Amino acid sequence: MIENQPETTSGIPLKLLYGPDDVPADIREALGSPPGRAPYLRGAYPRMYRDRPWRIFQLSGYGNPEDMNERLKFLLFEAGETGIIIKHDRMTDDHLYDVDHPEIVERREDVGLTGTVTVGLRDYETILSDLPLDSIYAKPGGGVPQSAVYTLPSYWSVATRRGIPLEKLAGTGQSDFFLTYLGCPTKEQIPPEAAIRFNLDLIEWCSERMPRWVPVSIAGYNAADSGLSAHQELGAVMANAVQYLDMIAARGKVDVERLAHRIGGVNFRVSMEVFEDAAKLRAARKMWSDLLGERYGITDEKARQMRIHVVTAGSAMTYQEPFNNIVRGTLMALFSVLGGTQSLGVSGYDEAMSIPSDHAHLMSIRIQQILQNEINLREIADPLGGSYYVESLTGELEQRGWEFFEQIQGRGGFLSVLDDGFLLECAEENNQRIAVGMESGERAIVGVNTHTIDDPIMDVEAFEGRSGAQTWEMAMERLADLRRTRHGRGAVEALRHLEAVCRDDSVNAIPAFMEAVSADASIGEIGNVLRETFGDWQVPISV
Amino acid sequence: MSEQGSTPLPPARVLVAKSSLDGHWRGVAVVARALREAGFEVILGGMLRPSEMASVAAAEDVDLVGINVGGRVEVVERALDEMEAAGVGGVPVFVGGTVPPQAIPRLTERGVGVFPPGSSLASIVEEARRLTGRDSSGPRL
Repeated sequence: MIENQPETTSGIPLKLLYGPDDVPADIREALGSPPGRAPYLRGAYPRMYRDRPWRIFQLSGYGNPEDMNERLKFLLFEAGETGIIIKHDRMTDDHLYDVDHPEIVERREDVGLTGTVTVGLRDYETILSDLPLDSIYAKPGGGVPQSAVYTLPSYWSVATRRGIPLEKLAGTGQSDFFLTYLGCPTKEQIPPEAAIRFNLDLIEWCSERMPRWVPVSIAGYNAADSGLSAHQELGAVMANAVQYLDMIAARGKVDVERLAHRIGGVNFRVSMEVFEDAAKLRAARKMWSDLLGERYGITDEKARQMRIHVVTAGSAMTYQEPFNNIVRGTLMALFSVLGGTQSLGVSGYDEAMSIPSDHAHLMSIRIQQILQNEINLREIADPLGGSYYVESLTGELEQRGWEFFEQIQGRGGFLSVLDDGFLLECAEENNQRIAVGMESGERAIVGVNTHTIDDPIMDVEAFEGRSGAQTWEMAMERLADLRRTRHGRGAVEALRHLEAVCRDDSVNAIPAFMEAVSADASIGEIGNVLRETFGDWQVPISV
Repeated sequence: MSEQGSTPLPPARVLVAKSSLDGHWRGVAVVARALREAGFEVILGGMLRPSEMASVAAAEDVDLVGINVGGRVEVVERALDEMEAAGVGGVPVFVGGTVPPQAIPRLTERGVGVFPPGSSLASIVEEARRLTGRDSSGPRL
């Protein structure tokens, strides 16, 4: 009888047993370098979690700014989170729409369901009240580039108003192209060229005055959870980095070595394909270090170090029997740490139906705390190192990752493959394969297509926030109040200046965004400037 | 995958659209492809407002509307109201996506089938056939 050849989700064939011959020579060599040394296969830092436990870093946000503030204080001061992430309403924030925009009004009940809704800087003051901005690590939002230039300046402006110097602030931006142009394209979006310009502005701005801030963060997660396989995620992340490095080198304001260090905070997805994905994190560090060393001649090892943030796969979380997702979250979290992540967000068990409830949020944190405290996981660096199986996967992913990278470069580079739909096609092809596997039962998901029961004894309700459908009305009142009570001429002048700066890419645009938010320009007014200046990017989607 | 020649009815036309502005397209793409492979003519609407869903459904003379829900059901209910106002209230609607479980009865009461994440493609195609009267004579998946 012929046995079906088992393989990983990415298509790497699996053997029954692995041995020394399965470890490629260059992996064997890299194994000889300890953690904290290039090529960082074995970890980013010499003493790994003994010196610094991974950061418990959960995506959080819903409703009005008061709701957001309350949730952040709960997560930070009670639940024990060690950094904060402010998730904004995708409808208003990612699109830079005011809440009275026609696109929003007809969907008003959805406002606040995917994150917190802000109308301007005053809402950031509410979100951040009672939070010690000089001592916390924050990701204020800005997943998509056009939102980042509103969100980061708003967060920074609140700190400035409180008398906290910018250089004291610690945190990270995102401005991720995989989210924006592949995973979840918004209805209107500035084109990638404009986004690149803002990202380079952010990088330069932070290089000059914010030493503790990661200006942008490539988020492979969004590539992977929209369908790219593990090696494709690796190759695309490297191609994205090359795009930044080449373009900023061409601008000539920041040297490549300094820049490399600023973009070394990268996000990956860990899915239920846990061994492959733990190997992927290890391969990613090595590929990053090799790329910067070989392609750009960077000798400073510190500049070649990749620090990883992992989010566990939202797509792994099932709608059916949601408590099973706590087990899935635990497994994915464990292997994220075994792969050497620096920070971690575990998807809520209610991920398939809503943003996390308080309970689901706490559960995600408890999973991480149990791993940090109860199983001696923090004591050992790279516990998977030397496993014939894991090293074989690591080598295989690296090789396939570079092949995909070359494919992207051969098609004109990272921006080209976003624009011509190549990455979307790759993702769709994989999604189709996964869907067919689930349909046939070959890909088993407990409680969904195998071991199902009719009696829904694990029922969970979707979290709908505290103000429910009234969230929008409350935001409308704040917007009206903002327009009524601000210094109108000051806002108009700041927006006019912003537009002039946006049209002149020899100027860094960040100060003009800081001025606009400080003058109480609304989110939609800032969005209007960007839409008028840069136009709209069309999704090259084909189904 | 399928043959249209054996069926006396023309292919049913299905409008597939998203009600919210969240941008997640993965589930929509998989479902749209399954419907196409089952012989349906799929019109991809993207992220449409409720009023746009109604006007596109009317203009395209569709036999069925499939809505991906990334938010509350009130927006879906508004789309149903808009469809009635536009004279296409008789066109059947089914939905998928992250529909809040507690709100499902509100949709089923108005005759809307709900297919949450994890629903099999075969069950979605079967429902689309039933709703468009293609269940006995139509092509098979």
